[in-house]
Amino acid sequence: MTWFSGVAAGDRTALAARLRQRDPELLELLIQQYEYRLYRYLMCLCGNPTLADDLFQETWMRVLDRGSQYRADASFEAWLFTIARHLVIDFQRRKRWETLDDAAEEFTAASAPSAFDEVARRERESEVHGAMERLPAVQREVLLLRFQEDLPLDEIAAVVGAPLPTVKARLYRALATLRGELGGAHA
Amino acid sequence: MPNDCERTRRAIDAFWVDGVDSGPVDGHLAECSACAEFARRTESAILAARAVSVQVPRDLAFRTQFRVSLRAQEMRGHTWGWALWVSLALSWAVGIASAPLVWRGLEWIGRNTGLPEVGVRLAFGLWWAAPAAIAAGLWAFDKRRIEEEER
Repeated sequence: MTWFSGVAAGDRTALAARLRQRDPELLELLIQQYEYRLYRYLMCLCGNPTLADDLFQETWMRVLDRGSQYRADASFEAWLFTIARHLVIDFQRRKRWETLDDAAEEFTAASAPSAFDEVARRERESEVHGAMERLPAVQREVLLLRFQEDLPLDEIAAVVGAPLPTVKARLYRALATLRGELGGAHA
Repeated sequence: MPNDCERTRRAIDAFWVDGVDSGPVDGHLAECSACAEFARRTESAILAARAVSVQVPRDLAFRTQFRVSLRAQEMRGHTWGWALWVSLALSWAVGIASAPLVWRGLEWIGRNTGLPEVGVRLAFGLWWAAPAAIAAGLWAFDKRRIEEEER
């Protein structure tokens, strides 16, 4: 079930053709395969589990509607995340959020400890969550795309719609901030 | 900050961000505890960022698959409906435009084959109704197919 993981160029052509045809089996497979990654990305951007849930579904509706727009010379992951990002931005404009960080408190609350035997892990994770949330949204986003999604820099630039030097600058700054925030707590 | 430290720290960041190997840094790291600590903290920060997890809502994929499937079915029906109406409209337009020619042609066939006038009229009527009948048949067939798929 990982055929489209790291899709090679030849497979992308087949993928593009099946997206144009709105192949139901393909869409089912993709939704399942990208469930965690896409949801994590949306949570990174909006920090609200309910909103991320809604936007997850809307993202795939757009994939269905606009499958003909996917080009085989591009990474499917980058295209998918770009769609998701645009949906988040559209929502922000409707709700007039000043920044993505307005939702930081909800994101932190969703990560609160919930099991006694996981307190230590949850506390550490909460600390990392907190450090990530204190990053500017644009830095948090590129950090996730680089170090969680392992996207190459040029694809990250395509997703966020920024020049490559800007993406690098954000990453360097994010790394410097995170390094300072987390200190020596994670040996 | 000494040049070696600055160069080493830039190389460490470049390694993680760009994936670029800027040259050996192990020698300096072995000598400089501050830079060694910098390298350790950098790696720690990245590993921590990578380990951040989220709790995916229950049945998210299933609910999404269901909704996408419904929408896909609607779109298939919509596309077919438009194609049908367009073909019907074209069929009628061509039929109306060519009707006088077809009637004259059938009359000529009737005169040369001895076909009675009622036969000529019947042939004309069949010619006129055939495209619509074919389209209606295709529509009914496709509707039945979709209903069977949904079952």
